[in-house]
Amino acid sequence: MLKKLPFLLVALLVSLTGCDMFDSHPYDGQITGDTNINAKNISRIEQATAGKTTIKFAWMGDSQRYYDETEEFVKKINERTDLDFVIHGGDLTDFGATEEFMWMRDIMNGLKLPYVALIGNHDCLANGEEIFRTIYGEENFSFMAGNIKFVCLNTNALEFDYSHPIPDFNYLEQELNSQPQQQEKTIFAMHVRPYSEQFNNNVAWVFQDVIKRFPGLQFCVNAHDHRLQVDDLFNDGVIYYGSENMEKRSYLVFTVTPDNNYTYEVVRY
Amino acid sequence: MKWLDIKKAGTLAAALLLSTASFAQDKVTDSIAALDSDKVAVTDSVTVAVKDYRSGWGKLIPKYIKLQYAGSMGFMSLGGGYDYGVNRQWETDIFFGFLPHYSTAKNKITLTLKQNYIPWKTDINDRFMIELLTTGLYINTIFDDEFWISEPDKYPNGYYSFSTRIRFNAFVGQRLTYKLKPESHKFLKSVTAFYEVSTNDVYVLSAFNNSYLKPKDYLVLSLGVKLQMF
Repeated sequence: MLKKLPFLLVALLVSLTGCDMFDSHPYDGQITGDTNINAKNISRIEQATAGKTTIKFAWMGDSQRYYDETEEFVKKINERTDLDFVIHGGDLTDFGATEEFMWMRDIMNGLKLPYVALIGNHDCLANGEEIFRTIYGEENFSFMAGNIKFVCLNTNALEFDYSHPIPDFNYLEQELNSQPQQQEKTIFAMHVRPYSEQFNNNVAWVFQDVIKRFPGLQFCVNAHDHRLQVDDLFNDGVIYYGSENMEKRSYLVFTVTPDNNYTYEVVRY
Repeated sequence: MKWLDIKKAGTLAAALLLSTASFAQDKVTDSIAALDSDKVAVTDSVTVAVKDYRSGWGKLIPKYIKLQYAGSMGFMSLGGGYDYGVNRQWETDIFFGFLPHYSTAKNKITLTLKQNYIPWKTDINDRFMIELLTTGLYINTIFDDEFWISEPDKYPNGYYSFSTRIRFNAFVGQRLTYKLKPESHKFLKSVTAFYEVSTNDVYVLSAFNNSYLKPKDYLVLSLGVKLQMF
C-alpha cells in the first residue's frame, strides 16, 4: 500500500489539475466554454427574422451579481413564445472579473431564444473589455432583424481615453454607409445614454445629430441607471427607454409593427 | 573668522572623539585584563560575537522556499519566507507569481504577501510530520497598468468602491512534511507538500446573497511545495 502511495498521489494531482477550482487569478482571463456568442446569435436572429415586418424583443441589463434574479428572468423568457430575441444592455459583471463573465454567460446561455450582450461600464474594469471581446465579440456591432437595423454601441466613455474614442463616430459613419437593402428602420442600443456621467457629453448633441441620419430611427434603449426611464432627452421626439436592473425583476418588451409604430411594455416577474 | 570657527570646532570634536576612544580602549583593556586568566572565555565571547554578527545578516536569507500552483495569486508563484515563534507556528512569505496572458493581450507578474498560522505539528514517525491545519491571509497585487489601487481622479468620488489591483485572500489547508537526514543534505532540512482552499474579496462578495453560486465557484484550490533550508 505504502509503495503505491506516490502513484496514487500523482494520479490525484493529475485529476485535480483538470479541475476548474484551480484559479490562477480573479482577473486571469482564462476562459473555458462558449465564446464569440454575439456573432453566433446574430446569425440565428437574422435567419429567424428574415422577411418579418413585426419584431418583438426583450431588453434588459445590469444583471451584475444578481445571479438568482437573472436565472429567473431566463426561466420566464423561456416560457414565452412571442419574442424574437433578447438584448442584454451591459453590466454583466460588477468587478470585471473573468469568472463573473462566465457565471453570467452560463445563465444567459440558458435562453432558448438567441441573445446579444452589450458592454457596460463595469464590464470595462481592469481587463474586462478583453474578456468581453473574447466571450461576446466586438464592443460596437449591428445586426438586422427583419427590416430593422439594431446598432449596439459602447458608450462607456469614462472608462477609456481619447486614444479609444467613445462613442466611435468612425464606426457610426461606417454603419451609416452600409445600409442593407431591407433596412427601413433603425434602433440604437447602448449601456449609457447621453448626459449620463459615463457618456462623452462634449459630443452628446453631435451623437444625437448623427443617429438621426439613420433611416427610420425608431427609438433608443439604454441600461445603466437601474431605473425605468422614458425620456425625450433632446426634445426632438427621439425617446430613450431605460430599463431597471435585474434586482428589480423587470424587463422591457418592444413590439415594432409595420404601420411605422411601436409599443413598449414593462414586464415584472 | 568663519574658517577659524570651523577649525576650532574640528579640533574640539577630534579631542572629544579621542578622549571617548581612549576611554573605550581603557574599558576593553580592563575587560581583557579581567578575562586574561580565562582565555577560553575570551575566545568564546569572540566566537559568539562573530556568530551573532553573521546571523544578523543571515537573517535576511529566507528559511525556506515555496512553490505554489494556482490559489488566485498567479498560475505559478515562487517565494521565500521566514518562520518564527516558539513552535515555528508563524510563517511570513513573499511570492512573485507568473500569470500567462490567456485570452488577454499581456502576460502579467503578481506579488503576494502571505501570513500563515500553523497551530499544531504532529509527528507520525522519525521522518514524517503532519500539520492538520494551516490558515492565514494573503494580499495579492498585479503589475499591469489596466489595474488601479484606488479609482483614478476622473471618476466621481466613490464611483467604484473597490480596487481592481489589490485582492484580499483567506485560506485553510493541510501539510505533510518529510524530514531529511541531516548528514545527507547540507542545505535542505525537509520537504513539505501542501494544499490550500482559499477565497478572495471579489468571490465572497459575488457569493453573497444568491443561491446560484456554489462553493466550487467561489472557493479556490492550490497546491504547493515548501523546501526548508534553515
